[in-house]
Amino acid sequence: MLLYDNAMLPECYAVRLLSGLLGVELDLKTVDCYPGRQHREEAFLAINPLGTLPVLDTGDAFLRDWLAALVYLAARYDSSARWLPTADAGRLAAVQEWLSIARLLQSSAGAARLHDSIGMATDIERRRREAHDLLRMTEKHLWFGERGGDDWLVAGAEPTIADIALFVHVILSEEGGIARMPYPAVRRWTERLRRLPNFALMGGVFPMPALDASRTLLSETECQAASAQSATH
Amino acid sequence: MIASIGWHPVAASSDLPTGHVYQTQLEGQALAVWRSAEGEVNVWEDRCPHRGVRFSIGVAVGNELQCQYHAWRFASGSGACTHIPAHPTQKPAAVIRATIFPVIERGGLVWTRVAEDHSEGTVPLVRDGVVMRALPVNRPAATVEAALLAAELTGATFFVQPLAEGQSVIRGIARDEASLRTLDSALERLRRQLEADHAVI
Ligand code: FES
Repeated sequence: MLLYDNAMLPECYAVRLLSGLLGVELDLKTVDCYPGRQHREEAFLAINPLGTLPVLDTGDAFLRDWLAALVYLAARYDSSARWLPTADAGRLAAVQEWLSIARLLQSSAGAARLHDSIGMATDIERRRREAHDLLRMTEKHLWFGERGGDDWLVAGAEPTIADIALFVHVILSEEGGIARMPYPAVRRWTERLRRLPNFALMGGVFPMPALDASRTLLSETECQAASAQSATH
Repeated sequence: MIASIGWHPVAASSDLPTGHVYQTQLEGQALAVWRSAEGEVNVWEDRCPHRGVRFSIGVAVGNELQCQYHAWRFASGSGACTHIPAHPTQKPAAVIRATIFPVIERGGLVWTRVAEDHSEGTVPLVRDGVVMRALPVNRPAATVEAALLAAELTGATFFVQPLAEGQSVIRGIARDEASLRTLDSALERLRRQLEADHAVI
């Protein structure tokens, strides 16, 4: 499978992130949209008349929408249906609801970030206000979720593609002047996600050590003592 | 509502799971709040003494906070730098330390004070209950306090944390779990009114 990709775009990152979590190999073809504007060239418009990234070439079709690419990868490669709960009507609908929120975050927080980073024209104050409204709603949902023992956007033991779709815009929000300080439950949720095994990063997204690894670090002095001991034997 | 001089709640005890560094502000002072593996709560200036990076994007590792940028580590309690990865065999100079603030954990809330004047003020004795969701409001603390008094909400004790210019956080301790959602919605309505009164558009 080939992904038409750009390293700085959250929508492309979401697809790379999910494929990493699923252990699916993607070939990447970088499209230089800034400053190269290759996404407006005829060669790319022939693949995607919308001129947007990413595009996932599945071999059967070109998927021109990042959320469609997430749906495809999960439905095709996750046999446990953990990332896209197709057999559970309630949870599947909840995933779709959050994907719609992710789309709204793209047009608010995502637009604010493009405004601040490459000077894209938009009503910046309005975009930031819209993003904060969405984050307030998400904060309330996650806070009450935590109280009920739910770690993820959609109730259940495992994260879904909804978490991935929101995460990529939430974690880069400060690059668009949207602080995450008012959203502590959202901040904790981004850390839980970043602690998942095989969690890919991009520029501006910091790693979180797995909690087991931090426990190893905690006993570092003991480790040193142990290795010193074994060295003498 | 209880007004407290100097001391303010800046986080809930439940905001501090293992490994997490909570980000907040008090009277314009950026704060990083975290709990060590041994359970000690720390309120530090949210600023690494190395290059000024926010501690709150870092991670708590055991009884130390590790900065995200160059992984310098700082000890719970004292704030002293314990480890510099670029110089693993040297003991960091004693002058390298995080700026720490006093901490009292009471009623499920973490209290601190950042004001220079240490002569006055105590942490109020609070009744046991359930800590509510913190609600940020884009209005000054005095305005929010007045609105809370006028609203005469019952079933909880409220505290207002002055964040920075024109921003505050309402914290509260509800009498019981059952009233959490109702009170949360009441506060959201109050926030909508307060922010609408002041809306730019
Ligand atoms: S800025 Fe914190 S270790 Fe360098």
